[in-house]
Amino acid sequence: MSRIFLDVGDFVVNAGEVVALLGGNGAGKTSLLEGILGFRPTARTVKLFGQDVSSLAVEQRVALGVGYVPEGRRVFAGLTVRENLEACSTASAVERRRRVEQMLALFPMLGERPDARAWLLSGGQQQMLALARALMNEPRLLLLDEPTLGLAPVIVADLLEHLARLAGDGMAILLAEQRAGLALGAAGRAVVLSRGRVVRMAPARELAADPALADLMAAG
Amino acid sequence: MRPLGALWLAALLALPFFALAVLPPFGQRMVTLVGIYALMGLGYQLVFGQLGALNLAQGALFGVGAYAAALAAPALGVLALPVAILAASLPAALAAGPVLRLQSHYFALATLALASIVNLIAVHAEGLTGGANGISGFASVLPRGPVLLAMVWTCLIATVLIYVHLFRGRLGDEARLLREAPLVAATLGIDGGRWRLAAFVAGGALAGLAGAFSAAISGVVSPDVTGFPVMVLCLTSVVVGGSRHPMGAVVGALLAVCLPEILRDFQDAWLLVYAVATLAIVRWAPGGIAELIDRLRGARSPAPNNPTVPQLMPAVSGAQRLVLDNVVKRFGGVDALAGVSFAVGRGEIVGLIGPNGSGKTTLLNVIGGLDRADSGAITLDDAHLECLPPHAIARKGLGRTFQTLMLEGDTRSADLARAVATGAIFLLLDEPAAGATDRERGQLASLLHRLRDAGRGIVIVDHDIELLTRVCDRLVCLDRGRVIAIGRPAEVRADPQVRASFLGLAEVAA
Amino acid sequence: MAYALVALGFVLALNAAGAVNFAHGDLVVLGGAIAVVAGQSTGLAAPLLLPLVALALGCAGIVAARVAILPLAARPPEATFVATIALAAIIEHGLTVTLGAAPRTAPALVGSGSFDIAGVALGRQPLAIVVVGGVLVAGVWFLLERTQVGRRMRAVSSDRHMARAVGIPVGRYIMLSLALAGALAGIAGLLLGHQFLVAPTQGAGHMLKAYIAVALGGWGSVPGALLGALGIGFFETFVSAGFGDAWASVALYVGVLVVLAFRPQGLFGEPAGRRA
Repeated sequence: MSRIFLDVGDFVVNAGEVVALLGGNGAGKTSLLEGILGFRPTARTVKLFGQDVSSLAVEQRVALGVGYVPEGRRVFAGLTVRENLEACSTASAVERRRRVEQMLALFPMLGERPDARAWLLSGGQQQMLALARALMNEPRLLLLDEPTLGLAPVIVADLLEHLARLAGDGMAILLAEQRAGLALGAAGRAVVLSRGRVVRMAPARELAADPALADLMAAG
Repeated sequence: MRPLGALWLAALLALPFFALAVLPPFGQRMVTLVGIYALMGLGYQLVFGQLGALNLAQGALFGVGAYAAALAAPALGVLALPVAILAASLPAALAAGPVLRLQSHYFALATLALASIVNLIAVHAEGLTGGANGISGFASVLPRGPVLLAMVWTCLIATVLIYVHLFRGRLGDEARLLREAPLVAATLGIDGGRWRLAAFVAGGALAGLAGAFSAAISGVVSPDVTGFPVMVLCLTSVVVGGSRHPMGAVVGALLAVCLPEILRDFQDAWLLVYAVATLAIVRWAPGGIAELIDRLRGARSPAPNNPTVPQLMPAVSGAQRLVLDNVVKRFGGVDALAGVSFAVGRGEIVGLIGPNGSGKTTLLNVIGGLDRADSGAITLDDAHLECLPPHAIARKGLGRTFQTLMLEGDTRSADLARAVATGAIFLLLDEPAAGATDRERGQLASLLHRLRDAGRGIVIVDHDIELLTRVCDRLVCLDRGRVIAIGRPAEVRADPQVRASFLGLAEVAA
Repeated sequence: MAYALVALGFVLALNAAGAVNFAHGDLVVLGGAIAVVAGQSTGLAAPLLLPLVALALGCAGIVAARVAILPLAARPPEATFVATIALAAIIEHGLTVTLGAAPRTAPALVGSGSFDIAGVALGRQPLAIVVVGGVLVAGVWFLLERTQVGRRMRAVSSDRHMARAVGIPVGRYIMLSLALAGALAGIAGLLLGHQFLVAPTQGAGHMLKAYIAVALGGWGSVPGALLGALGIGFFETFVSAGFGDAWASVALYVGVLVVLAFRPQGLFGEPAGRRA
């Protein structure tokens, strides 16, 4: 099986790597992620795990093995932490419970209050819940949209550590970020988007040292 | 809204004359009924059609008018008609204050509760209303037959003409803004509260008048006139006819009166037909039958009245300086604005930059009065703005455009043109170049320069830093609610702290 | 208790379809009417009619939403209001045309008679209504809170877009909620139909009470709607015992207006953080 888990025409994301998707506000990062998921039409040809998915609905694309952490977290507010996780699972009851316990162990922040309603959680806890929820069905590709927004630096570090470990286990991760400094520290490669188009593609280390990056990011 | 076409006008005028000259008394009675329902429906259009609020009390106000006329007629004769108008507009005015602030689903509930109270009183306050038997024997002093028909239709024709006249011009645009983009309306200086009150009371007055006429024609007033079915009839006829078209209420009333005659052999079936038609109209022809007829005749549906920016910019007079002093705004525990201070003079363009979430839009909202500052002062010369409602701030000379276009079929330039047209001295522009082509950006830049040369002060938020560098006299960079740099564009862009904030490295640098 | 079923159905449909269904009261009446007709034509006893009515109204609930709510999702809420009011009128007049306007009696759930408990006479019929209502409310609570299907229904009403993004087949769960809402309305219609008879014009009254219960209990909150419905039931019983039915209703509506005047967000506010 090919190691290219995501192919959107002008760039790909391989198994086991974190790719940073950079760009200012309005550069088209969210549109691209929603296009990959099938929430909105896109001019690009999207291939997930080598398969052209243009005729598939959102649920079908997700079922191929895609996890999604949306901008603004969007946890199910009235459900408890445990219920948020369980509701996402497509597995049998026994397997479902095993996965939930696994997630609660993986994210100690959630493990402390499994029965709290999601809207009572702090921003950091909600972000971890959104991530744990995306991992419930053991995806092979993870899409994250501005996951660090509004989080304290300690929690950002914790989050990025989780992503690095997941990539180490073979997951493909596309991390859309406006805060290029953070994302470049966590990614191997980076793609810069401006007005919906890819304007730069480079190894993260090379881009981080590039003085032109600030202008690219500010240009939107 | 377009002027009433010649055909509509002819139909409107011809119907009563035709009825008076040709039709037997029975036919005249039907035409009178059409006029009565149309009057009620026209009043209903003010609130439902123009403002888009589902008022479920119109039927009850119609009933109030009928009872008032019945009670007052023996003593006052024809003067019972103005009494009925007053009787219906009074509760409308009283209820308006608390009710009109509500969101759509609570507004519907509150007006429904109001209507139910009126209905229960009509049935059970027997001393006043005669209970379930109602009131009769008052009709002899009220106009009847052809005289009544002439009165009803004179009122109706006059109301339709006034309605067309009012809503053709600015009032129509204001109503559209209030309905589709209340925030835009407020920042243009439109006082939505007063507007809604006026519409609600005027609608109630028309319902009261219609109710009084209905008392005159039937000679009996029973609790049925306050019931929910009257309300449903009014609502459905306005929807079927066209909820904003000036002839919508007339067309709807015509069908509501004629259908039962056509389907006379099927008891209640006409109501069934009418309800099905309403549902079909809501789904497939939201403009109603009157608009459908217009379209079949080849008339274009009224294009939204999109203003354009004038080529020659008139100079404006008024305040000289907009000053922000230590403005703080908190959302929850987060300081969205943590003490922002700067000033904008006339003839100056100031660009606001900063990463996402740095507080740019919040700042514009606080200046324009859409959000309240928690502390700090915002002054226009000597006038404090921080405790005024948005429409009052707009009238002091502050214009505002929005990030995303809130109106369907609206354009960026229309949004800007509206703000300019208010005669605003200071303009707050939120991402006017978002999604624009290079050519449009060029036009925007030259427009901003013309505005500056005509003595306006401009605060602009945008992500196109090249555009801002070109047009702005100064840039202000925000990061997490604080001003981290202020000065000439080249200086600010070279500032290491500013560069770090755009890369999300602010925490490291700070 | 029957009010609670009406309000419960109303709030389920509200959460699933995202819109007020003004025809919900008429679904209740339709349930009662089907019970009357089916009872007469088949001669089945009421306990056997119950699932039949529930099934029929479950389908009706789906049809109602398909016709008047879901196609209008992108329009302002007023469009749905008008469409469902029109639907309510269609049901009302459809019933008048087919069955006539005269009130009819739905079959009793159990035989008449009463128990004596500690000296208080309890009618068997009201008791049966309370028991059936209680069992159903408990059943719905169990479904929503304790099963995977219920969790997913709640996730869908909390954030439809996000529910799709985690792979929940949203359309199916919306239909399920609507069917459940319709079935509850139908059962309520059967229960109310014996005590208060069934007449086509009752729909508006049922709908208004459910609407009030939901508005007072917290828009979109299931326990709030139940509390609101029970509160209305008690309020009406006690006030009408003192002042008569009509004035109890007047007091209730005045109360609603007062609450809305001082608390425009409803008595307990909107559930916090719908979209956290």
